[in-house]
Amino acid sequence: MSNTATIKQFLIEEFLPDLTQDQLADDHDLLSDGVIDSLGVLKLIAWVEDRFALAVGDTDLDPNNFRSVAAIDAFIEDSRQRVGG
Amino acid sequence: MSEHGGLVGGFLTQVRERPDAPALVRHGRETTYRELYGQALEERERLASLGLRPGEPVGVLAAKSPAAVALVLACLLARRPFLLPSPQLAEAQLTALFAQAGCRHVLAPRGAGQPPRAVPSATADPLPEDTTFLLTTSGSTGLPKIVPLGREAVDRFTDWAASAFGIGAGTTVLNHAPLNFDLCLLDVWTTLAHGGRVVLVDPDRAVDGRHLLDLLTRHQVQVVQAVPMFYGLLLQACRRTPLTLPSVRHAVFTGDAMPEPTLAELPRLLPAARLYNVYGCTETNDSFLHEVDPAEAGPVPLGTPLPGVKALVVDAHGREVTGPGTGELYVRTPFQSAGYLDAERRREKFTAHPLGGDDDVWFRTGDLVRRGTDGLLRLTGRSDFQVKVRGVAVNTAEIEQVLLRHPAVLEAGVTARPDPLTGRQLVAGVRRTPGSGLNSLLLKEHCARSLPRAAVPAVLRVVDGPLPKTTTGKVDRTALDRLAS
Repeated sequence: MSNTATIKQFLIEEFLPDLTQDQLADDHDLLSDGVIDSLGVLKLIAWVEDRFALAVGDTDLDPNNFRSVAAIDAFIEDSRQRVGG
Repeated sequence: MSEHGGLVGGFLTQVRERPDAPALVRHGRETTYRELYGQALEERERLASLGLRPGEPVGVLAAKSPAAVALVLACLLARRPFLLPSPQLAEAQLTALFAQAGCRHVLAPRGAGQPPRAVPSATADPLPEDTTFLLTTSGSTGLPKIVPLGREAVDRFTDWAASAFGIGAGTTVLNHAPLNFDLCLLDVWTTLAHGGRVVLVDPDRAVDGRHLLDLLTRHQVQVVQAVPMFYGLLLQACRRTPLTLPSVRHAVFTGDAMPEPTLAELPRLLPAARLYNVYGCTETNDSFLHEVDPAEAGPVPLGTPLPGVKALVVDAHGREVTGPGTGELYVRTPFQSAGYLDAERRREKFTAHPLGGDDDVWFRTGDLVRRGTDGLLRLTGRSDFQVKVRGVAVNTAEIEQVLLRHPAVLEAGVTARPDPLTGRQLVAGVRRTPGSGLNSLLLKEHCARSLPRAAVPAVLRVVDGPLPKTTTGKVDRTALDRLAS
C-alpha cells in the first residue's frame, strides 16, 4: 500500500507548513531547491525509522532515496520487502 | 621559501622519504604518498596536453575525493593557477566564475564521470604573479568573489599551521570542510606538506554525527578543525552513549561563534585536547587565535593576532579604537590575497591603512568587534547584512532582493534566528499578491535558482497582509519570526 499521503503530511508539517497535500507533487525534487537540506534528510530518516519501524542502514543513506515523495515511498516499500514484511 | 620548501616542496619531500606512508584515508581505504604522487603526475600529463598559455588558469570542478586531491596537486606541481569553486554553485554562477577568471578549460578528476564543460573564453584581468589557488568567497547572491592566493602566502600559512598544531610525519588530521573551502589549507594541504594523514569526510555525510564519531575513533584522529556545528553534531550523537575521544590533541573551531553550551561539554568528549578559536576569512586566511579555557565564562574572544598579523579597530567616526570600545576590524596578514580579481570589488575591501599609518594593503573585514577592559577583541556583528549559516556567509539583504524579483512578491524581509544546532537559521517573511497562489514551495524553487542552498531560507512565511514595519517604514525584520502563515 502506498504511503504517499502519510509522507506528504510529515513533509508539510515539518518543512512546508503553508502547503496543502495537493500542492506537493509526488515527483517534486525536494533536495535540489533546498526544501530538505542534509540535516533535514537526517530528520526524515529518523521519522521513517520511527513511523514504519524500519532500520535504515548506512548503505541506504543515499540522499536519492529521499529526493521526492515517490522516492521515499519506494524506499519504504523496498525496505519492508527486504525484512520480509 | 621555507626550510620545508613550502607546500609543494614539503609534499615532494614526503614522496621521496616516506613513499609508503599514508597520505589520505577515505571510506576506510588509504592512499599512500607514492600513490597520490603517481595520480598527480597522470593528471599533470592531462594538464600539459591542454595547450594552456603560460599563467593561464584552469578550472577544477571536483567534489572531495583522493582523485580530486591529486588533480589539485597536479596544478600545484605544474605551478598552474586553478579556480576551485564549490560544485554546489548554480550552473550560471559556475560559468560566470570560470569566464571571469579566464578559464578556457574545466577539469573534473579522472573517473568522476562528469565531462568538463565548455567555457567561453573571456577577456579576463591578468592574475597576480605566482597565483596558485583561486578560491571563492561564499557570498549569497550575485557572483561569489574570486580570491587569488599567492604561492608564498600559502607556504607561509602551511608552515605556521603545522607548527601551531603539531602537524608532522604520521599526524592524523580530520578534514571536514568541502575541498573548495579555505579551511582545507590547514587540514588537507598543511597535512600533506608535512607528512601527516588526512581523513577525508564525505560531504554527503558531513552532518551525520554518528559517522563523524566513528571516523574520529576508528582512525585515532589527533587534529580536528571544523565549524562549531561539527562539535554540536558530535555531542548530540553521543548523548545516549557517552563516549570520549582521547586521541584528539588539538581541536580548532572557526567560521562562526561557538555556542557556550557546546563549548562547556567539549572537555568531556575531548579530554586530551587543547581547544582553539580561530578567526579568519578566505581573503586573509587565519588572523587571530585564542586557546580556550572552557572554565572561562562568556563569549569566546577572537584572541591574539598570529605572528606577523597586524590588526586595527576603527570606529564609526574613522578614529582608531585603542582602549575599550567598538569598531570595524581591519587586518593585514602574511597569508593575505593580493585582492579579488574584480577590481571594483577589490577596491571596496582591500584598502590602504585607514589612518594613513603605513603603506601596506589592509583588509576591511566588515566584522564589528568590541575591545573589552581585558584588552581582548570579541565579535559583535557585521557592518553589513551578512550572517553565517552553517559556516556559509550569506547576505540577508541580497536574499530579500532575490525574493522581491518574484512577480507575485510585494514585500519581503529576511532575518536569521538562533538555532540550537546549526547556530543560525534563515527566516523570511513575504507578502504575496492576493490570489496569486504563491506558496513556500514555489518560493524555495525560485530562490534555489539564484542562491546557494545555504541561502535559501529554511522558514518562509507567506502572508496576504502587509509585513510589520518599523517607525521609518522599513520591513521590521525583528518581527518576521512572529508572523503566522
